[in-house]
This record gives sequence, C-alpha cells and structure tokens, in this order.
Amino acid sequence: MIELYHIWKQYQKPDWALKDVTLKVNQGDFCFVTGPSGSGKSTLLKIIFREIFPTHGQIVVDGRNILRISDHKIYRLRRTMGIVFQDFRLVFHKRVFDNVAVVLQVLGYPRKELRRRVFNALRMVNLNHKMWEYPSHLSYGEQQRVAIARAVVNNPNIILADEPTGNLDTELAYEIMSLFLEVNKKGTTVIICTHDRELIRHFGKKIVFLYKGKLLREENI
Amino acid sequence: MIVQKFKHFQREILNNLWQFRARNVFSVTIICLSFLIVGIFVSLSNNLQYTAQQLSQDMAVVFFLNKDISPIDREAITRELEKSTLVQKTQFVSSEEAIEKFLIKFPDLEGIVDNLKLNPFPSSYEISLREKNLTYEDTQPFIDKMRGMKGIEDVQFNKDWVEKMQSLSRLARSVGFFLGGILVLASFFIVSNVIKLNVIARKDEIEILRFVGGSNIFIRIPFLTEGIILGALGGILSLLLLFVVIKLFPLYLGSSLGILNELINFRYLTFSQSFALIFSGAVIGLFGSMSSIAKFLKS
Repeated sequence: MIELYHIWKQYQKPDWALKDVTLKVNQGDFCFVTGPSGSGKSTLLKIIFREIFPTHGQIVVDGRNILRISDHKIYRLRRTMGIVFQDFRLVFHKRVFDNVAVVLQVLGYPRKELRRRVFNALRMVNLNHKMWEYPSHLSYGEQQRVAIARAVVNNPNIILADEPTGNLDTELAYEIMSLFLEVNKKGTTVIICTHDRELIRHFGKKIVFLYKGKLLREENI
Repeated sequence: MIVQKFKHFQREILNNLWQFRARNVFSVTIICLSFLIVGIFVSLSNNLQYTAQQLSQDMAVVFFLNKDISPIDREAITRELEKSTLVQKTQFVSSEEAIEKFLIKFPDLEGIVDNLKLNPFPSSYEISLREKNLTYEDTQPFIDKMRGMKGIEDVQFNKDWVEKMQSLSRLARSVGFFLGGILVLASFFIVSNVIKLNVIARKDEIEILRFVGGSNIFIRIPFLTEGIILGALGGILSLLLLFVVIKLFPLYLGSSLGILNELINFRYLTFSQSFALIFSGAVIGLFGSMSSIAKFLKS
C-alpha cells in the first residue's frame, strides 16, 4: 500500500509543484494519475520512488516511511518497484536481453534462472525474438515494451509508469496498457501518469486528478 | 549470489575495458609515462647507491712512507696502527710489491717502468677500517695524527668519494621523487578525468542501475576495478619500458661518456621498488575512479 500524507513540493520559490496532496493507493490497485502538463504528475511519481524528497509531508510504502530510509539503503525500496519512463531509459550499447537482465543481475540471480525470467518477460511483451538485438534497431513501441519487460521481470509489488504511451500511436498505447493490466491481474499495484483521456476512459479503475499541484478529486470506477 | 555477482562484474569490467578502449589506452599511457620518469630516477639512484656501496666496501686508508724512513719510525707507525680501534687490518706494501701490483693492473705500461732507473713507488701501509659507516668526525683525528707522524709522506683516503656518491644518489632519488611526484599528481588528475569521461558516457546506465535497485557498492565495483586495472597496467608497462631503456641506453651512448658511463648507468629496480610502482599505479587508478564516480552516486 502507498500512502501520501500532506505532500508539498517546491523546486523554486514561490511556485509549488505539489500542494498538500494526500492519497492512498491500495495493494493491487490500477491507478491513473492525470492532469495537464505541469500539474505535478511526474513529481508525484518521483517522490514515490524517492528520486526526490518532498518539501513537507510523509510517504509510507508497505508500512515503511520511505523518507526515513538512508540514501545507501534506498536500493532496497527500489527493488520492490518497477519503473517505466516516458523516454524508456534503455542502455543503447547493450542488447535487449542485457537491458532487461540488469534488474536480476543487481539481485544476483543465477545465470540460468536469469535467462529464463528475462525470456519470459520478453515473451510477455512479445519481443522474445528480438532478445539479442540492440534497442536502437527497435521501433518506439518495441523500445517501450522492453522498458516494460524490465519493469516486470522481477515481479515487483509496485509499477510506476510516467507517460508510458506518450510517444506512441493509439493502437500501440492500447497494447501497452493491456500489458500493464495483465501485470496488475497478478496482484501488482500499478500507477500510471498520463494525460491521455481516451486511455483513462477505457482502462481506468482508480483515477486521481491533479491540477497545478493540487489533488482535485479521486474517482473509483 | 556472490558468485553470480562476481561473474557479472567480471563480464562488465571486460566489456567496459574493451568498449572504451581508446580512452583507456590514453590513461594507461599517461600513467605509464609518469611512472617511467620516476622509474628512471630510481634506477639511476640505485646505480649511484650501488657504486657508493662498492666503494665503501673497500674503504681504505693508504699511508705512503718516506723513501728513507728509519726502522724506528716504521716501528712507531706500526705500533700506532695496531693500537687504533678503527683499524681492522694492516698490510705493509713494499715499493717492490707496489711496482708488481702496478704492472699487474697496467701491463701495457711495462716498457715505461723498465726504462725508469729508480722505483718511483713508495712503500706504504694499506689499512682497512673496522666500520663502514664512519663519519668524518670519527676518522679525521686518527688520519691527522698519523699524517703528523715522522716517516709518513702522504695519506690517501677514499671516504670522500663514498660520501659524494651517497649524496649524489640521494639527490637523484629526491629529484626523481620530486619530478615523478608532480607527474604522478598530474597523471592522477588526468586519469580521474578520463575515468570521469567514462562515467559520464555511462551516466544513463548508472542512473538506471540506481532505479532498478543497484546498491552503491554494486555500481561502484566495476568502475573502481577498472581504475585499479588501468593504473596497475600503467605501472607494469612503465617497468617494461624501463627495461627497454636500461637495455638500449648503453647501446645508444656507447663509450661516449667515458668514465661517467659507470655513474650514469641504469640499474634494474628491486622487487619491492617494482611492486611499489605497480601498487602506486593501482592506487592512483582507484582514487581517480573513486573521485569521478562519487558525485554520480549522490541521491
């Protein structure tokens, strides 16, 4: 479970990126965070995986206040999360296999088990046949699917995705959302930031609306 | 799990060394050249030290006697030498023995000696001193006292040479460490910047590793190991180059330096010196990498 209590975030005075956001996302939720550009969607995600600290407020993830975790132990929190970025953040001089395998290498998986898991994750996103290619040889949609495979390969408790369909056409966007739904069915909490209303209408279960850093409303469908 | 991580590091390090080979070759070259300079001076200093040691091993005083020395005066000199605590061994060399020794050393000059009507070599006492590390203050009163004795014409003492050689050796070593130190410091900054370039080139990769739960140690180990490998490699290569210099130097100069040839000569580094050189290279590489990666790991 993810709980945010009175989160305020200020990058530069006098503007606030987030203003008093209090939010609860239960285990197994499929949650959309939406709002126009600059509404604080990405900031909210960054705070949850603790890339940045809030100016005020507290965040509890699975019963632990993550703001009290020391910097050199934060990797333990991140091992329970899969993160998908809008710009994919793939390592272009490494093959697709290695891009996905890095998550398991960090955890010290044996080579055989690692190969099996990477293969399964890539099969799930229908890219197992391109396992030994370099990301630069793949299309945008395929690169995003590699990023998703990387996020799910170690069965994380939480998946955070920041505009995962931002650069994709409608058909690919639906395909990718279906992948997130599939992962969510296995019990993983998924939080997706998007401003794509069509997607939200089609897939939305829990929707959080942000506007100029304030939480306007929450909807459970 | 540790074995798996070790294997992962091994693959990563080899891949990275190969992938960024141009930059790596550059940093190895810089370290190698810096350490070559240090090595050359240490080697030169080793030679001077060796020469000084050789000289000090046969540190001797020779008392040349008057031609017409009376048996009483000779007896007095003998007694004085036996009495001294500095003297380890005394050997009397008659003028006949002196000429024989001379002819053994310089057989080509036999004709000149034959043409001489008189034996020009005086008889002498050759003294070995008991301790090798005697100072000027230790020996000078004894030498002065002997010089003042009746029947002694001249005194020859090679201690000055030994001391000069030793101070020259110390000078060479200090210059080596000073110049080498500056170069090593410069190479540290160059290496750390080269590694920083590698780190910047892989900034995204480091960021991804952090987001997928890589601990700081996990991220650091390949970079630090690469730094150590590059540094140690630079050290090893500098030793190989030094070996080539030592081999080629005499061939290049030949006998053009004459008597200085013996002094300006290179001697191989000792095992501990070679080890220290490689170790210092590794330390430079390690610290270079550490300083480069530190800021990328700050949360």
